[in-house]
Amino acid sequence: MKQVSIPSGASLTALYREWVGDYPKFFKMDTLSKLGFLLTEMLVHDEPDRFTFREDRAVLVFSREGCIANDRHYAESMQDFPSPALFVYTLPNIVSGEISIRNKWGGESSAFVLESYDEARIWALVRQAFQDKCTQSALVAWMDCKSDTEWVTNAWLVDKTDML
Amino acid sequence: MENLINELKLKVIDALNLDGMTPEDIEDNAPLFGDEGLGLDSIDVLELIVLLEKNYGIRLASPAQGKEVFQSVAVMADYVAKNRAK
Repeated sequence: MKQVSIPSGASLTALYREWVGDYPKFFKMDTLSKLGFLLTEMLVHDEPDRFTFREDRAVLVFSREGCIANDRHYAESMQDFPSPALFVYTLPNIVSGEISIRNKWGGESSAFVLESYDEARIWALVRQAFQDKCTQSALVAWMDCKSDTEWVTNAWLVDKTDML
Repeated sequence: MENLINELKLKVIDALNLDGMTPEDIEDNAPLFGDEGLGLDSIDVLELIVLLEKNYGIRLASPAQGKEVFQSVAVMADYVAKNRAK
């Protein structure tokens, strides 16, 4: 299975310009969504039929901090005018939606907030996702984003055969 | 007008938290909404309405009016130039 990560504090804008460059919605995303978006690009950029709608790929993202970095920004904006643009990212599952929308993946899409990095639990949940008749592969990511410059990430592109 | 266009680009980037975007990334006449342009959506209209009111004293009658005013930065600048109260 393919695995990628983004070092904590790396310039996400520079990575966007290197790997994508033509998806301006990226700039609107919170840091958690940017991380998920970029990790996915790094994993699937060379896949054939890249943007053909498919339902056989699941997205499962895991974290401990959820979207706390953006939540703080939103709370700060409430001192003046609560920002709708920030508000829409105050859910930790938005990242899985951004990934699915970008890639036209209509399969399982889930975001889990765990008390800590729990490898056994993560892979048990991934195995569960493969129990349906549809899912053949999954984008799996651990993205723990404490702030706009501090995070731990690991993402994998998992095939059903990897789980047998 | 060129100065106002550039000023608006900076304010749009700031208001919408387009972190990492520069004025050069926004073409004067590119649509602000939809996949063809900047990728803004209906949520962002609210931010832009507040931007006009706070910075230029312009109060739009409704978000629907925003669709016309926020077609592009160039259209926005033209509207601001004609209607600004400050």
